[in-house]
Amino acid sequence: MAEKNQIHVDPANLIFAKVMEIVTYIGIAVMIIFGLLYLVGISSFVDIKAAIAHWHLPVVQFWQEVVGIHISGYDWFLKNLTAMDCLSMLGICILALAPFAAIIAAWPKVGATHKVLVLLFFILVVEYLFAILKPIILPGVGGH
Amino acid sequence: MRVSSRRWLFLLLLFFLYCGALVWAQEHSSGEMAHEALKAAGAKGSSLAWWMWPLILFGFTFVIGIIAPLSGVGGGVLFVPLSTAFFPFSVDFIRGAGLIMALTSALSATPQFIRKGLANIRIMTPLVCVSMVTSILGGIVGLWITNAFPSGKYYITIALGLVLLIIFVVMLTSKRVEFPEVKEQDPLSRALALTGSWFEPTLGKVMEYKVTRLPIGLVCFAAVGFIAGMFGLGAGWANVPVLNLIMGAPIKVAVATSMTIIAINDAAAAWIYLAKGAVLPLIVVPSVLGITIGARIGAKLAVKAKPAFVKILVMGIMLLAAALNIVKGLKGLHII
Repeated sequence: MAEKNQIHVDPANLIFAKVMEIVTYIGIAVMIIFGLLYLVGISSFVDIKAAIAHWHLPVVQFWQEVVGIHISGYDWFLKNLTAMDCLSMLGICILALAPFAAIIAAWPKVGATHKVLVLLFFILVVEYLFAILKPIILPGVGGH
Repeated sequence: MRVSSRRWLFLLLLFFLYCGALVWAQEHSSGEMAHEALKAAGAKGSSLAWWMWPLILFGFTFVIGIIAPLSGVGGGVLFVPLSTAFFPFSVDFIRGAGLIMALTSALSATPQFIRKGLANIRIMTPLVCVSMVTSILGGIVGLWITNAFPSGKYYITIALGLVLLIIFVVMLTSKRVEFPEVKEQDPLSRALALTGSWFEPTLGKVMEYKVTRLPIGLVCFAAVGFIAGMFGLGAGWANVPVLNLIMGAPIKVAVATSMTIIAINDAAAAWIYLAKGAVLPLIVVPSVLGITIGARIGAKLAVKAKPAFVKILVMGIMLLAAALNIVKGLKGLHII
């Protein structure tokens, strides 16, 4: 009976799930642990008092008032990785990379069953890379 | 120790760490800090201490986390409009937090759905190829509107209320079919072998399924992706009806596939918010922690809850959020 109720999940799906799960747990752990350290006041890029005083402002105005910078791209937190809030942001980046890592890991396996999926995975990878790189290569797009 | 037990312990540990951090922060907050926080809160008509906001956010997202898996939405669709109405944060930061929340809940649920056969990357891939592009465009347009137009945030708030009203009507009129009958697949769906199977415990047997009308589904997902990216929503509210009512996926498959699509679309849209600085750890961390723990409980409750009750619950919240957002936007524009 148990064998009768077993379902077949192909290897590409299983690898996709496994990689997504691992990267997600890493991302959540990094984000929350460093986020908590930020909350208790250990080395911050954005001062908590200032953030609370200005968090009702639109995003551009917020950063000008709080830190005195114009945010565009990722260097604002990547260059300040000694600050706990920036390290917490790194955890969010890891979370946002989880599906990409899963796609890359499953890619070699999808062609075994349906060749056209290899092409669709390629399109997905290109779209995803564009999503990551767009703020760097096209910083003006989006009204800024 | 079983894997699921370890996960629960991991989440509990993070929860206690969070509570400890809040208590520590409260005890060590200086008079100046409290004064500034009160000043900030006073601007929004509240005298709450600053540390209350993360605590309220945690409780709020914990409840959303319980409700979300019961209804097949990522959680952002509840978080964004309700937060816009009740919290003092800018709509930009709320949309950023809503997106990261929906991303986290979808990433947490997807691996389990795939292992059970409910979600399948063959069905997800063509739909995501289209909706990822439109969700990125939606994210760009959403942020551009608030920054380019001084009163843009009020129009976005009204638009969000109207979108929720539309969702409410769709949910009111839609008849979810548990096991739709697909007699014949369209050529594209057949070529991609959009089929699968899962074990259905309520029937005690393995269920086979196949989906159809992929070209129509692609058009629908393009529109859904744009709206989701623009408002920072998870889009489960629209993915499920398209997969179920148009493409003929069984309701459980539609919910599971929707979560997989949310994971990938939101991951792509998140980079826009990160690059614009619209993600604040002060808001995002308690929100993600709340929804992650709540979603685990919600997933367990989903097995026992009556779908009709859940549907009424979610629709009631959506209607309330829609009304609040429209009123808030109209007040901001001095129309009422």
